[in-house]
Amino acid sequence: MKLKRTPLIATAVSAFLGAGLLNTLVTGPHYMDQYPRALGGNATENLSPDQLLVTIAGFREMVAGILWVRADSFFEEGNYDAILPIIRLVTWLDPRQLDVYATGMWHMAYNFTDEESRSDRRYIPSAVALGREGSQNNDYTYELFFETGWLFYHKIDDDYGQAVKWWEAAHTKKDMQTARRNILAMAYMRNGQLNDTTRLYRDLLTEAEEAFEGDNVFTNRQNRDTLESNYDNHLMRMVQRGNFAQERGDFDQGLYDTKPPFDVRFSARVTVTDSKVLQVEGTWGVQPVGSRIRMVLRDKDFPNALPAQMVWDQADRVDLDPPKDITWVQDGLFVRNQRFNRRIDLSRDPTMYPFRSENYIIEFYYNPRSAPPHIQDKFGFNGEGMTDQNFLNTEIRPGTRVLYATLEITRDQLLRRGQYALDRETPIVQTKNFVAPSGAAVNDVLEVPGIRSAQPEQPQARPERPRIPPTRTAPTSTGR
Amino acid sequence: MNVILSIAKTTVGEAIRRRVLLVILLIGVLFLVIAPGLQTLSARQNFAVLTSFALGIIQLTSAVIAIVLTVYMIPNEIERRTIYTILSKPVQRWQFILGKYFGAIAALAMMMALMSVAFFAVFYIVQPEARSQIGNIAKGPMMFFVQMSLLAAVAMLFSTFVAPIVNMFLSGGVYLVGTLFNAVFQTISENDQLPGLVKGAAGVIYTVVPNFGQFNISNPLINPGTEIKGETLFFVQLAGYAILYITVALIIAVIVFDRREV
Repeated sequence: MKLKRTPLIATAVSAFLGAGLLNTLVTGPHYMDQYPRALGGNATENLSPDQLLVTIAGFREMVAGILWVRADSFFEEGNYDAILPIIRLVTWLDPRQLDVYATGMWHMAYNFTDEESRSDRRYIPSAVALGREGSQNNDYTYELFFETGWLFYHKIDDDYGQAVKWWEAAHTKKDMQTARRNILAMAYMRNGQLNDTTRLYRDLLTEAEEAFEGDNVFTNRQNRDTLESNYDNHLMRMVQRGNFAQERGDFDQGLYDTKPPFDVRFSARVTVTDSKVLQVEGTWGVQPVGSRIRMVLRDKDFPNALPAQMVWDQADRVDLDPPKDITWVQDGLFVRNQRFNRRIDLSRDPTMYPFRSENYIIEFYYNPRSAPPHIQDKFGFNGEGMTDQNFLNTEIRPGTRVLYATLEITRDQLLRRGQYALDRETPIVQTKNFVAPSGAAVNDVLEVPGIRSAQPEQPQARPERPRIPPTRTAPTSTGR
Repeated sequence: MNVILSIAKTTVGEAIRRRVLLVILLIGVLFLVIAPGLQTLSARQNFAVLTSFALGIIQLTSAVIAIVLTVYMIPNEIERRTIYTILSKPVQRWQFILGKYFGAIAALAMMMALMSVAFFAVFYIVQPEARSQIGNIAKGPMMFFVQMSLLAAVAMLFSTFVAPIVNMFLSGGVYLVGTLFNAVFQTISENDQLPGLVKGAAGVIYTVVPNFGQFNISNPLINPGTEIKGETLFFVQLAGYAILYITVALIIAVIVFDRREV
């Protein structure tokens, strides 16, 4: 049978058009839907042709594995800068590598530090973006939702509503670990959702009791006991701090630990002792150990800045190289003997602290929701038991009474230039109520019972310590 | 039809006897056997790494076999002058082309089946907890077979008018572009900064060059939580796309071969 050419050509043209339409309109788009995408672009963006080749030729998981092994060796060598591009590449090649996403977030948020171990917080928005991308690409598991929530809860340690959001999402996943479900209750607490904390603890305890009744193993017992303890503590604190009374409306009638509010008598002074070297000192009238005042020094026009924080989830894509012309310094001022005094040397990290802007803000911030329990017992969950004549703020964190003070400082002052050069004039900025302490040196020793008080090199000119209980020292005789 | 079947059978026999194909096949099987050694690359994703690597090996080996098998098919017949003995019988040229093509894909199917069996045997041994996944993973090689059938048709089309070595590079290049271009096209089409001319050219290439990339369904097979929406329909659509394109390639091959002096 001899074929006729014209029908053949017509058939070929029809088939070609059909194939083209099928590919363009149906199968091609449908196929691409199967692949997860990187934030801010598609999965192939920024890959070189050879990387693209191996990616799409079917070996992406293998190449991702090899690259991750290489990144591990960089970790061991301390070559942190080399790790970020590999992390990004691995997550492009294989967006299912949960460990790489989690490690990448941690690495960006925690490991880029200055000489005094302060994190470079300009990386945090990118770390959050990486967590968002990872959780979108792996929404079948709780893991990256949990890790992103942890970033807000632990590293950012503010903006607890975000931690709640991410951990509530983690709770909806089937594989959420029992031991980790507990922590959502803590996030609720720090976000001021006390009744949600109560409800969650109660639900988890009920589940734990049922699990223990069903299988009397150690882990079930331990989980039940932990939840029981947490639940008891929470209820006890709500009673003692007057939260139930507040709900009932009879808070004014009872004697609660948070009454009357304690005046923390905050004051601060910042002295620029040398170019980019600050001496930060001040008062915080809380005797027990454990207070840490957050200090932020930033460009006055820092993009997306909020009081004592920035919009942490501002990045819509993962940026391995955050803007290097903006400055954000964040530190915790540890309080001892009702004072803080810290030298902050920013001169050794010019890339982290470029000081390009002309004007800066120094913020002091204390949020009772982040306080340790023994201090929170007085201050309350929401700062009901805390006040300050000058710097109490009820607006910047709605629903919470926080301490917030700001000072302004110029670039010339920070860099000791112009009129501040060569010790002509020492730049000092301070709150109006700051009073320089007398006999400051001796107060630098922590006045609480402990091993330090038994050391022989204690200062001799120790002032009276009438309110401190006698120090327990180790027996000096050998007979007992 | 009997004529086509006879030529196909002969072609299968020739393919099995060709040492170069057997060597390629052997290398592929060896890689599949050592694949479990790569599981250590990822602490928690042994399944993904093993499956991804094995499917990649099956795809790559099959592509090499498909090209090597088809590029020599017609030129060898002409060079050895065996084609005269065939065409002097009551065999039309289109029957010869179709017979050769079906013989090639039958041989390809056998070799791919052998590799798949080797992979599943390895998988069965080293991934006992995921044995139930084998049926699902088998969809990967099946779609690769459709992909290779398309590649064989393209290579056969080129073999009617270019020399084998040239054809090898030509078919390999088309396969490469057809595999990579799916993702590249998307990047180009979504980039607002590119001029319209570039986007238009990309659209033409996307339409003309066979889209081999979409037959690789490894991603949903490997990764939990990813699935193809309307899987059966998608597979049917892919098969339909392949059949249409194979039809085009074979018709052009028949027309070209029909006019060629041998």
